[in-house]
Amino acid sequence: MSNIVNIVIDGKEVEAEKGAVLIDYLFKQDIDIPHFCYHPALGTDGNCRMCMVEIEGSKRPQISCDTPVKEGMVVRTQGENIEQVRRDILELELINHPVDCPTCDQAGECKLQDYYMAGGFYESRLEAESKVKAKKAVDLGKNVMLDQERCVLCTRCTRFTDEITHTNELGIFSRADHSVISTFPGQELESDYSMNIVDLCPVGALTSKDFRFNQRVWFLESFEAICSGCSKGCSIHVDHKKEKYKDDQIFRFRPREDHDVNGYFICDDGRLSYKDENDNRLNDASINQETVSTKEALTNIADVLTANPNDTLLLVSPFLSNEELALIKEYTLNNGTTLSGYSPQYYDESFADDMLRTSDRSPNRAGMMALRINENEKDFNELLSQKKVIVVIENSYFEDKAELFKDKKVILFSSKDTKVKEFANTVLPVASFLEKDGSYTNSESVTQHIKSGIRKNAPVGTLTSLWKAIESLSKEKA
Amino acid sequence: METKIVSKRFHIPESYKLEVAKKHGVYGSLEKLFTMTPDEVITAVEKSNLRGKGGGGASCGQKWRYMPLNDPRPAYLIVNADESEPGTFKDREVMDKDPHLLIEGIICSSYAMNIHTAYIYIRGEYKWLADRLNTAIDEAYEAGIIGETLMNGACDFKLDIVVHRGAGAYICGEKSALIESLEGKRGHPRLKPHQKECEWYFGDPATVNNVETIASVPEIVEFGYEAYTKHGTPKSPGTMLFALSGPVKNPGVYELAFGHKMIDVINTLGGGMKDGKKLKAVIPGGVSCPILTADEVNKAVLDYESMWDIGSTLGTGGMVIIDEDACMVEVAKNIIEFYHHESCGQCTPCREGTGWIDTILHKVIHQQGKLSDIDNISDVCGTLNGKTICVFAPAVADIIGSIVVKFRDEFETYILNNQGAEHE
Repeated sequence: MSNIVNIVIDGKEVEAEKGAVLIDYLFKQDIDIPHFCYHPALGTDGNCRMCMVEIEGSKRPQISCDTPVKEGMVVRTQGENIEQVRRDILELELINHPVDCPTCDQAGECKLQDYYMAGGFYESRLEAESKVKAKKAVDLGKNVMLDQERCVLCTRCTRFTDEITHTNELGIFSRADHSVISTFPGQELESDYSMNIVDLCPVGALTSKDFRFNQRVWFLESFEAICSGCSKGCSIHVDHKKEKYKDDQIFRFRPREDHDVNGYFICDDGRLSYKDENDNRLNDASINQETVSTKEALTNIADVLTANPNDTLLLVSPFLSNEELALIKEYTLNNGTTLSGYSPQYYDESFADDMLRTSDRSPNRAGMMALRINENEKDFNELLSQKKVIVVIENSYFEDKAELFKDKKVILFSSKDTKVKEFANTVLPVASFLEKDGSYTNSESVTQHIKSGIRKNAPVGTLTSLWKAIESLSKEKA
Repeated sequence: METKIVSKRFHIPESYKLEVAKKHGVYGSLEKLFTMTPDEVITAVEKSNLRGKGGGGASCGQKWRYMPLNDPRPAYLIVNADESEPGTFKDREVMDKDPHLLIEGIICSSYAMNIHTAYIYIRGEYKWLADRLNTAIDEAYEAGIIGETLMNGACDFKLDIVVHRGAGAYICGEKSALIESLEGKRGHPRLKPHQKECEWYFGDPATVNNVETIASVPEIVEFGYEAYTKHGTPKSPGTMLFALSGPVKNPGVYELAFGHKMIDVINTLGGGMKDGKKLKAVIPGGVSCPILTADEVNKAVLDYESMWDIGSTLGTGGMVIIDEDACMVEVAKNIIEFYHHESCGQCTPCREGTGWIDTILHKVIHQQGKLSDIDNISDVCGTLNGKTICVFAPAVADIIGSIVVKFRDEFETYILNNQGAEHE
């Protein structure tokens, strides 16, 4: 027997899975049915009562998040009656809400604000002084702030800590319109995933301590990328902004729904790793600690490489994209240099957990392995002792081991400012992880592509473009 | 006028003691019970058309049929003793004066549904009744009435009874909120299932019945459903403990067959109005029912169907009498304060709506009322009705909405007379 049944939504016939939740099919029809408490990751709770629809044959309006699909069901989301019902409930949702959008960090991406504007509730039937007062700016723990007055008590956050992280830090306290969300006495939000409740919160009740008051969201642009914090490669949105005459700046990462990789969430460390993209960047090319132009550095590198191909070790890293790794591997095959991907420094067992985080804190080791780039320790050490020219490409292995460079000629490609540059003969800055396009393969063999949206006034070259320049310079010489 | 089935031992001094109650026939139904099959017991209860006495009035036998048969999981009987509906004080009489009748009823019901653990969820404020129940249960264990076997081995059926005190939340009288609370969680009502089924306690099948319902079962077992259905009306057979409160001469709990006229009950058992005052209104079944005006009270008949016919419900049978001296604005304020305090806060309409009405009435009483407030209250009542998980909000809409509609002129006068002058 087929599980697919026909239902009618606003006069349109739609196929749907029998027993599935109706609200999911409303979303699929691009019907923006108002809702706060329903979230696909957390399921039905049914407390906000916003997603009411009319169902033919039903006496009362029904919440679509708790209505299973049935054959022949006729659903209406529009019409004077049902829209009035939703308006009435929205009015109650707003009756004790401070409507302080101008000072609220959620403004611009707030469900309540959207519905409020659409509903046109500009004048409350309850005077401001009669509204229930509650605590504002409650510090919930390391990363999250709470404003109890703005809360619509959809319980997404409490359900997240109960059902997803099982850390149970949050609960509802008091009753009726004095109900508030809070942490249990003596407890703080400690979960490594706690900032997800900021995304889950449909209103401005839960805000990120890191992001709040830093930027109005409508000024932000966004592109899709992955997180480089570990080999899970969680899908993210990168929210960034370029002010006139200034370089693009990343303001936050948000999780991107991806059922092949991370589902709906990301960890807090990954989320805050956007700072690595902004801070501590390497800007200038140098030769023997003297700042030079990129062109000079490139020529210098091309000279060194063409002079000693058989005496050169290229050390790449799992931070490079599949395309970059393939390019360098091909160069090695054609020119007789040696290649290693040795990078044990990215392993951190303490970072792994049973949710998303893995112990390999680099995004593309699987891609590197697929290209059969050797990362064997013994081989690497042997090569290191033999070869006179060491080309370090986005690999932090030598960060605290610069003494190994003794009697070597060192060429450093890096997006980060690193003290290794003091020991390198030639230093060349490259574009960072999110400043370039490329594909990455995560620990579960899912390959994802990033198309960067970052714009800089004086863009640093990507490794691919720089390497190609070196190759053509080498050919000119030959 | 009274028909004493559940209350038959209420008048006997120290009837809560096992020795006294036993002399007067408690546990008398068990001998017959053990000759019946569980299915026969449920059939008898079905045929008696015993209806839930906690306010809903659903068929008790039908509810029992929802329990899955031959299920490997343990099943539970949960006795709802969270009596917290204002104007209702009947269950406490049963637990206070005849706790062994409740235990007898639990034995009959558990036997019928093959249940070996029964909980009595009692409201926190009924501390002395929890003590009384525990004493009675201890007596029953000691006498071998319950425990590893029933009646000292007369029936090889294990039964444990546990009293659990709630923390005093009104909403925990709602059966699914009660179970949540019993599971150790916040007392929030659960979403209603999409098909008829039993309740679930930690994922195991459970039935929730009111104290008085359970206490009515032994009579049906002992004397057959015919003995029960000969009382009352065809659709509302049997009896109910009706409570009278307010300015009547003899307030109290009276057990009556269904079908008596409300006004007769007030005038005879209740002894009529105190101090010769005129009757103004009655809230018929705990405060969660639409109010009846004096005219309607004259027509009201105390059974489920008749009460529905006149636009109210029988509820718990706790009649709140209101006399001519009462100001209906203040009555409404008093009631909404209760609901505002007790709303669990889960669903938006109830969480915000009860508080809003309370705020409006507070302003009305403090000289800041406007005539438009009356319509605002009616509007909010409309939003409260039929849009929430449980029936708490519809109950608020019923009582507050009906007061505002039926006594609108009184609200208008009150607002006009009290604008700008603090009311005393």
